[in-house]
Amino acid sequence: MKKNMIITVITALLLVGCSQKAPDLNGYGNVSDVNEIAGDTVSVDESNGEGNSESIDRESNGMNSSSDGFQSIYFDFDDFTLSSGMENSMDRNRQVANSKSQRVKIEGNCDEFGTDEYNYALGLKRAKAVKDGLTAQGVDASRIVMITFGESSPLCSSPTDECYAKNRRVDLRLVP
Amino acid sequence: MHTKTEGIILKYILIVLLSVHLFAVDAVLKIEKDVEQRSRIALVDGSSVVNPKFFSILLSDFKISGHFLADSTKYKGEIGSNLMDPALKSKEYIVKYALNQSSGSKLSIRLLKASTGSEIFQKNYSIPSKSKIPFLAHKAVSDINNALNYTDISWLNRYVVFSRYTASRKSEIVLADYTFNYTKVIIRGGLNLFPKWADEKQKSFYYTSYASLYPTLYKINIYSGVKKKIVSSEGMLVCTDVSNNGTKLLLTMAPNGQPDIYEFNVASNVKKRVTKFNGIDVSGKYNHSENAVLFVSNRLGYANIFKKPIDGTAISQVVHHGRNNNACDTHGDKLVYSSRESTKSFGNNKFNLYLASSNGLGTRPLTTTGTNQFPRFSTDGSVVLFIKHSDYGSSIGYTNLQSHQSLLFPLGVKKIQSLDW
Repeated sequence: MKKNMIITVITALLLVGCSQKAPDLNGYGNVSDVNEIAGDTVSVDESNGEGNSESIDRESNGMNSSSDGFQSIYFDFDDFTLSSGMENSMDRNRQVANSKSQRVKIEGNCDEFGTDEYNYALGLKRAKAVKDGLTAQGVDASRIVMITFGESSPLCSSPTDECYAKNRRVDLRLVP
Repeated sequence: MHTKTEGIILKYILIVLLSVHLFAVDAVLKIEKDVEQRSRIALVDGSSVVNPKFFSILLSDFKISGHFLADSTKYKGEIGSNLMDPALKSKEYIVKYALNQSSGSKLSIRLLKASTGSEIFQKNYSIPSKSKIPFLAHKAVSDINNALNYTDISWLNRYVVFSRYTASRKSEIVLADYTFNYTKVIIRGGLNLFPKWADEKQKSFYYTSYASLYPTLYKINIYSGVKKKIVSSEGMLVCTDVSNNGTKLLLTMAPNGQPDIYEFNVASNVKKRVTKFNGIDVSGKYNHSENAVLFVSNRLGYANIFKKPIDGTAISQVVHHGRNNNACDTHGDKLVYSSRESTKSFGNNKFNLYLASSNGLGTRPLTTTGTNQFPRFSTDGSVVLFIKHSDYGSSIGYTNLQSHQSLLFPLGVKKIQSLDW
């Protein structure tokens, strides 16, 4: 009796162990609409809300992509510290900022060789370095707004280091 | 005594058999990983008008699934016939299909056992839009995969959403199938960046708009176009991860000019600062059942991957390899990150992808050549998507982590800004 029970248990377990779910045999004529992706998706045009996405007027500004009398500040590769070579430009920017009543927008930019989000953060740190430099020289911090454009706003795209260096910059301009 | 001994023997037999049965599950998984054990399959086209691109998509689907060794020969034959070409007898399965594009797009597909010609699976598909033909292939292959009881590969059917630059300070957000054979612009004009799927069903995604003075996060429904403003921040704003139930977001925000990781409650609009560092903290990804966050930080002077509990203070370095690991993605206990392995100040730098556990152990390379960035896991974590730039152009790549099968599909010339799968 016990022997029979052992054999039965072994057989049952072996059958379970070897079992395989039968393939799903579907009949003819069935139609799937592929519902997950069949629906029509929209196409939205946001060209009207240009705002920050207005292109830089390079023709009128030459290689200085700042406006309203400000001068762009340039940075080394993968760096966000103000270099001593930018002191004159920073002093000029302080004078312009203090001579106006509008707010000053500081835009951080990068070359194209970082990766998506980190590059935008690097641009922001460059903008922050310029803001800190201006406020240390007496510009009211509440008049300053910052934004980063990452690598989205290149001034130059020729494959030279001199060209890419122009993209590692901070631009300044007045906003209402 | 005799009865007691038999009882003990029975108990041991049961334990041994149960153990064998349990290990048999692992054995099946092991077999699935083994390249030589993948199912040999051939495709037979019964369409009245042959569509070479459709054949290529079907072939790619079977290859990247990790479950099939697909024959790249284009065979022709009647879809309704069960007769087997003798050349196909060495295969395990034959897929017969017919694509009809005369009105809309219709696909009939059959899976036959090569040795007997017996039918295992049959289904007809239709879709109104001809441009969405790639999705017919993906759906059919994932159904065939399911009919054979292989691990689910429904990630084939998912949209990839990506932003690409069109000009200086101009971009568009685009939907694509995973092969990029189907693409459709969802948002054109302006500067709109960092799309991130908002829900598992891919009905909505978050993105950052630059239409206002401050970057603003919106959520848009891709079927209705209804758009909702979520939050805005000075400096920068990126949605980097969404909790499984969609109620919480990980954001990179910089209200004071310092890019840090924040957790944002969608219902209450309450944000919680997760990291606080006078440098760069970005790319937060949920980890440890959404109780911790993995993120990229330059707190050691270069970009690397770190981990922090959302409500705790302890920060640990996760990756102890490379000197510039500036992008990552997570899935469960898995981490994939890109590592810059050259330091040219211009020109293409070498970036490679590495797979590790979320505690940094078991690191192995996934790529060895070119510039490989934007790593993203599939929804089941079995495949990694990435963008590859090389001397041969730019591509979107996929690597199956179990079968090690990789595929590359060519990309257009426009530069991709960010993407999500």
